[in-house]
Amino acid sequence: MSSDGNDPDEGLLAGVGRGDPTAVRALLDRRLPRILALARRMLNDPGEAEDVAQETFLRAWKQARSWKPGGAKFDTWLHRVALNLCYDRLRKRRETPTDQPPEQVDTGPAPDAGLLGADLSRRVESALAALPPRQREAIVLCHHQGLGNIEAAGLMEISVEALESLLSRGRRALKAALADLAGEA
Amino acid sequence: MMSLERFEDLAETYGGEIARWPEAEREAARALLAVEAVRLTPVLVAAAHLDRLLDRAPAQAPDSALLGRLISAAPTAAPSSRRWIAGLSAALGLSAAAFAGVVVGVSMGRPAAAPPAVVTVASAAEPAAVVTTAVDTSTALQDAISEHSDL
Repeated sequence: MSSDGNDPDEGLLAGVGRGDPTAVRALLDRRLPRILALARRMLNDPGEAEDVAQETFLRAWKQARSWKPGGAKFDTWLHRVALNLCYDRLRKRRETPTDQPPEQVDTGPAPDAGLLGADLSRRVESALAALPPRQREAIVLCHHQGLGNIEAAGLMEISVEALESLLSRGRRALKAALADLAGEA
Repeated sequence: MMSLERFEDLAETYGGEIARWPEAEREAARALLAVEAVRLTPVLVAAAHLDRLLDRAPAQAPDSALLGRLISAAPTAAPSSRRWIAGLSAALGLSAAAFAGVVVGVSMGRPAAAPPAVVTVASAAEPAAVVTTAVDTSTALQDAISEHSDL
């Protein structure tokens, strides 16, 4: 995944490495919302998403001074770090027994005929959260993060064919879970 | 020419916007859509409906506390520069002292052809200390240069 010398973040990252506060702010404005959104959709938990985004950028600050241009794009590197942190948390959730049952995911039809915006968002979020993590990851990377299939497959360390399989199975499952929302959105 | 099945697969996989499909297949997909619009337009419409639903999955805006924490943890220029300048000044000062010590040491070691310099006797009284200082100086200078190159 070479940047082909075309990493749009290279200049800002160099500024961060020099301690330029304007570059820090600009890089955060450009990349933090993306990484936070990625973590939120992967984890379905605002607090954990914020922790992941924070840890991702703390690691980025450590890398800034020694960042070598010409390797992976910085955005790709951020995605990889954030996804690893998300998977660590998903693993811990599975391994840690808790007295409190996990939030029940309601993917069924709502009692009302129409849904308000917030309800609709919750329904979609729940349906996404109910997917197997790899299907969710494929959809979040390609649909929400807007990555190309080659970049997404590279991040997930799978072939493009395997990515397409995850995407189509994930979308089919979402379509079924949200079938009652034909007139919404 | 792309097959109808491949077109339907791509819509099911990547959604209802051909612009988001793999680049290598977009042109063939558009060409097929132009000749099979009646059959394929509903395929795109159905896929686009799911895209719009997916767009409703909440994102999360960074709050000011998170931004503040990250900004305050970011690398800063000023302390490093001050450290570098201080380190370099110390190193240069100590190097000068070490150089003076070496000069004294050399002149003390010569045969007494020339009269001993009275002024330098005090400095030459601690040659070991001068040598130690010279080593410290070299390390300090390397640290300072190394830190500067990291900036």
